[in-house]
Amino acid sequence: MSGEELPTKEANVLRGHGGAVLAARFNSDGNYCLSCGKDRTVRLWNPHRGIHIKTYKSHGREVRDVHVTQDNSKLISCGGDRQIFYWDVSTGRVIRKFRGHDSEVGSARKLVCFVLVKVNAVKFNEYASVVVSAGYDRSVRAWDCRSQSTEPIQIIDTFADSVMSVCLTKSEIIAGSVDGTVRTFDIRMGREISDNLGQPVNCISLSNDSNCILAGCLDSTLRLLDRCTGELLQEYEGHICKSYKLDCCLTNTDAHVTGGSEDGYIFFWDLVDATVVSRFRAHASVVTSVSYHPKDNCMITASVDGSIRVWKT
Amino acid sequence: MDSDEEDFVFVGTPIEREEEINSRKKKALAETSGHLRTLPAWKQEVRDEEGRRRFHGAFTGGFSAGFYNTVGSKEGWTPQSFSSSWKSRAEVKKQSVLDFLDEDEKAEMEGHLLGTSSQFDTFGFTAAELARKRAEKEQKQRPSAIPGPVPDELVAPATESVGLFSDTANVFSKQILHYYLEHASCHLLGVKLLLKMGWRRGRSIKDSGSNSVHGTLLNPFLKFDVRREARKAFLALSSSDKPDGSEPVVSGPDDLIEEPATDGVQSSQCLPVYVRQPKQDLYGLGYDPYKHAPEFREMKRSCSSENKEIVIRKPFSSKHGPVASKSRRLAPGFGIGALEELDVEDEDIYASGYDYAETYVLDDKEPSGTLEDCQKRAGKDLGFVPRFKIASNSGYQLERFEPPIVPSDFVARHKFPALLDTNNLTSSQSPPEVPPPEDNNLKVMIEGVAALVARCGKLFEDISKEKNKSNPLFDFLNGGRGHDYYARKLWEAQQKHTDQIKWRPDEKLYCTVQKMTAESRGKILGERPLERSLKDSSSSASVEDHVHIQSNMSDTFTKPERELLETAKPFKDDPAKQERFEQFLKDKYQGGLRTTDSGKASNMTEAARARERLDFEAAAEAIEKAKSANQSKLSAQQFMEFTMAAGPRFTSGGVEHGKASSTEEVISKKVYPKREEFQWRPAPLLCKRFDIVDPFMGKPPPAPRARSKLDLMFTSDAAKITKSEDIIVSNDLLHIPSKSNENVVTEMEGKESEVAVEVENVERPVDLYKAIFSDDSDDEVEEAGVNQTEDPQKKTEAASAALSRLVASDFLESLGKELGLEVPPDVPPPTTKTGTSPSIRHVPEDSRATGAIPQDLPPSASLDNHGQPTIQGHIESKPLEHTVGNEDIDREKSPSSRKKNDNDVRPDTEDRRDRMAKYDRSSSSSEDGRSRKRFRRHRHRHSSSESDSSNSSEDRYRSRSRDHKRRSSRKKHRRRKHSKHK
Repeated sequence: MSGEELPTKEANVLRGHGGAVLAARFNSDGNYCLSCGKDRTVRLWNPHRGIHIKTYKSHGREVRDVHVTQDNSKLISCGGDRQIFYWDVSTGRVIRKFRGHDSEVGSARKLVCFVLVKVNAVKFNEYASVVVSAGYDRSVRAWDCRSQSTEPIQIIDTFADSVMSVCLTKSEIIAGSVDGTVRTFDIRMGREISDNLGQPVNCISLSNDSNCILAGCLDSTLRLLDRCTGELLQEYEGHICKSYKLDCCLTNTDAHVTGGSEDGYIFFWDLVDATVVSRFRAHASVVTSVSYHPKDNCMITASVDGSIRVWKT
Repeated sequence: MDSDEEDFVFVGTPIEREEEINSRKKKALAETSGHLRTLPAWKQEVRDEEGRRRFHGAFTGGFSAGFYNTVGSKEGWTPQSFSSSWKSRAEVKKQSVLDFLDEDEKAEMEGHLLGTSSQFDTFGFTAAELARKRAEKEQKQRPSAIPGPVPDELVAPATESVGLFSDTANVFSKQILHYYLEHASCHLLGVKLLLKMGWRRGRSIKDSGSNSVHGTLLNPFLKFDVRREARKAFLALSSSDKPDGSEPVVSGPDDLIEEPATDGVQSSQCLPVYVRQPKQDLYGLGYDPYKHAPEFREMKRSCSSENKEIVIRKPFSSKHGPVASKSRRLAPGFGIGALEELDVEDEDIYASGYDYAETYVLDDKEPSGTLEDCQKRAGKDLGFVPRFKIASNSGYQLERFEPPIVPSDFVARHKFPALLDTNNLTSSQSPPEVPPPEDNNLKVMIEGVAALVARCGKLFEDISKEKNKSNPLFDFLNGGRGHDYYARKLWEAQQKHTDQIKWRPDEKLYCTVQKMTAESRGKILGERPLERSLKDSSSSASVEDHVHIQSNMSDTFTKPERELLETAKPFKDDPAKQERFEQFLKDKYQGGLRTTDSGKASNMTEAARARERLDFEAAAEAIEKAKSANQSKLSAQQFMEFTMAAGPRFTSGGVEHGKASSTEEVISKKVYPKREEFQWRPAPLLCKRFDIVDPFMGKPPPAPRARSKLDLMFTSDAAKITKSEDIIVSNDLLHIPSKSNENVVTEMEGKESEVAVEVENVERPVDLYKAIFSDDSDDEVEEAGVNQTEDPQKKTEAASAALSRLVASDFLESLGKELGLEVPPDVPPPTTKTGTSPSIRHVPEDSRATGAIPQDLPPSASLDNHGQPTIQGHIESKPLEHTVGNEDIDREKSPSSRKKNDNDVRPDTEDRRDRMAKYDRSSSSSEDGRSRKRFRRHRHRHSSSESDSSNSSEDRYRSRSRDHKRRSSRKKHRRRKHSKHK
């Protein structure tokens, strides 16, 4: 595939965040996007027209991840203030605050007890009935959106270190942790598969056919794993990812792998050859997040410089 | 008086006397009753019964609360805007009581306000006021001769009299004197004067004022009298210079004249001499450090009296003095309210509060002498600490240390003496060429050890010496048989080694790295620590034993030649094959110790192996040609050769950094990603929310890790096997390994087997059939081989797969038997490492029991118990015989060596048993694991006692007839098969 089909032209710049943007995500149909950042807000944008639609303020600290349901009715966001906020999209109200990751689980070490635990990632499941969050407290927690309970349904605490990223399929919870493992929790089979990559895993993202996991590791390498066998299919190198949580993802056709770099570049690799197909400077600073449009050749990138850029072919 | 009143009976209304109602009251009454009532609200004035406007209170607005007693204002009601006091703290308005008082109250209050204390009361206001108060009080308390309030005139202070009378000069002079007395006790002259005038200490000078009480007119006589007194005093002063006023005389002649009614006035005349002891110390107010130690007080006083003038010169002493005297009078915690009178209660009832419980003497003895004092002040001016003077000469000097002198011949690199040792050693003497010992094993041994020692230094030799002290095989280390040869070999190897070092450009680095121990290097490379060989400690030390150690060692270390061979990887697409190829290369080109083929290639058929070997030969030749053609690669190849020649991979430590890191990468790539599987119980609610049936049906978890790895492996093997079937399969599996042993035992019970077998068949799951009949074999076998090399977990997986295959093949046979079909003889037998071992183990026993197989059958032939041609077996089993060297010694194998070979096999079986035990451990917590475990335990016990007789096991198993039946039937098939093939 040539680089021409890749979204390398800047279509819009979404400005408004008063600080680093930590995550930018398309919604399920790709018409809108959500961003969140250090300014403690979650923002809803129309990336195609470059319009800021709504700001969701309630977080007490930086917001690290946001996700929206399939029907675009609810948001979930999490961040440095330990709580997980469940929003109504239209009214902008907080429907519920899940009690979040406190270190009660980690209270085996009493010292950790009072540390404000950051929640690194949240995701809805397919039916928006469960929210799964991954936190600094080395656990993944599942929260019930249907009941009024603010307690987690289940706490998975087999991780040895902070859990950075979480993905959900129809029947699985996949989470990547700093301990170097990508763990798949198969609800249907009732088993846990742990793929040890040996390097801290920053971000995981599923391929669109759900057969592969792309794991961004802190040794400046993206690794593509076969989910069935746990085989390492390919490694993508060239970018810098040593100290920040950077996102990576596959393009909508699964033909390329894309990810940001700490020097403000965006990289496109060929999925099979692992060659850098395209790279260009997108931001002045660290590219924290990339999100690819589910259908079109469109991508949004977010950066520490506070801007979100929309890229199209 | 009260009781008297109670007795009165009042009849009628008492007539108010006109004079008692003052005019204001009358007015008020008139107004309330009159027209004022009709006025609008904001014009009405609220008045009390005295006719005064109502005072709403000090804090609520004085006479009218708010705006005409409303909350509004002229502009309407506007709430006060909030202003934070945080920012404008300093601007907070201070309200004083006076803001809220009206005139008459103020006038009333006036006396109670803070006034000049009597010591400084130049004009005597406060003193007079106090005196009046006291008089009033006293008068109230006792029945006085003169009823009614004491007329103000009686206690009128001197000022009034000043106003009244003409002799202001007199009074003034007295007051000034008084002032002098109070303030400057040092003004002795004034005191003297007054004393001469008849004044006594402690007495007010206002006695003249009190004199004026009697008559409203001060008679000129008195005035004259005073003057006369003064004149007398002057005269006396001239005559006597020393005053004797230490003891105040209470009453003078003037006092005697006083009337009893003016007792209170008299008391006011006696002024306490407050400033007797001005505060000169630095203690807190009221604090007496000598409270419990009066003896020190004397000392202090004498001390301070010595340098009185210095003390007086201190500014703060005079400043703090009055404060101290004043606050001593009033209770500390209770301020006097604006409206309260200064009562007795307020005075000093908490005086004890000043006395702190802990008293400690701070005897700050001041140095006497004006010189020092001057110095002190000078020092203060200059900013020095008081009482310290600048030293004329200072003993303190900044000490400087010169930096150490680096010797000119210093090289900033550490030289390792050990290396020099080896180098020297090698260069010093060259042992004579010695013919190798006849024993091939020993020769190989010696060569290997020598190479190792050359590589790793003397340390290794010492270690191995230590380790194998009792081992006769290692005698050559201690000067026994073959020592000469060893010495020679060692020298050779060292020579080679040093050549290598010299040849290498980055010698320095190499040397430093090279001296690392194996452990540290392993640590750096992330290798797993060396495992103790199973039989390491056992007494039976055979060559194979040590070979095992070697193989273990080599397993733990990385293969540096891998990336060297990267250029020549003919079997890149097939890693297992590539690995075998490398092994082959090594075998081909390098001498040294050989390992038994640790299962890499053993899971292949002999024919396949032979074919592969041919392939390898061709490939190796091609590579060799390429090598010779490509001269530039010489160095790398040399290095490779060198490392390989050194035997096991103790070598790669010397590689330069980049290479090391690349090796590391290779390792990490090889190790990671590592997949593990565990059981995980999703919460029932989670399953519900995900719309998934709970895999555990809400059963509470019996133990943390409920499902065994074995189960999981089976499920991954044949993914569609459901759980219940799974259990059956594993049960089946468990029966089978023991079955072959049972063959020997339960022959006689074979007759009634058929029915049971059929039952078993019904139980067997369809998936298993599928698994058996579907074309699995080759690639999977190879995969298993790869897995084995990767990690122990994979190994176990492979082992289990092999086991299942064993089950399958066995079952196939029995099935074929039942169906009356011939089992095709060329069905590829499951020849995984673990798969072969049972057959190796059992066939001789079988043969012993049945007599079908001759005793002297070569062991290699026993490997192919499924009808492979024996000759081919010979050839193909060659890779298995690496242990003994390159040459094909199968043919002339002596009985002893064969026995050795048998021994060789045994560790394998033990290995397997060990692995099975591992499964046991891993599955120990499973729900269904318990029964299984029991089975296994039996099996293990059995297999451990396999070599000895069958009778005991027969007894043991007789009770379990069902198993027996099955086994015996199978046994029968097996025997038939054997006989057929042999």
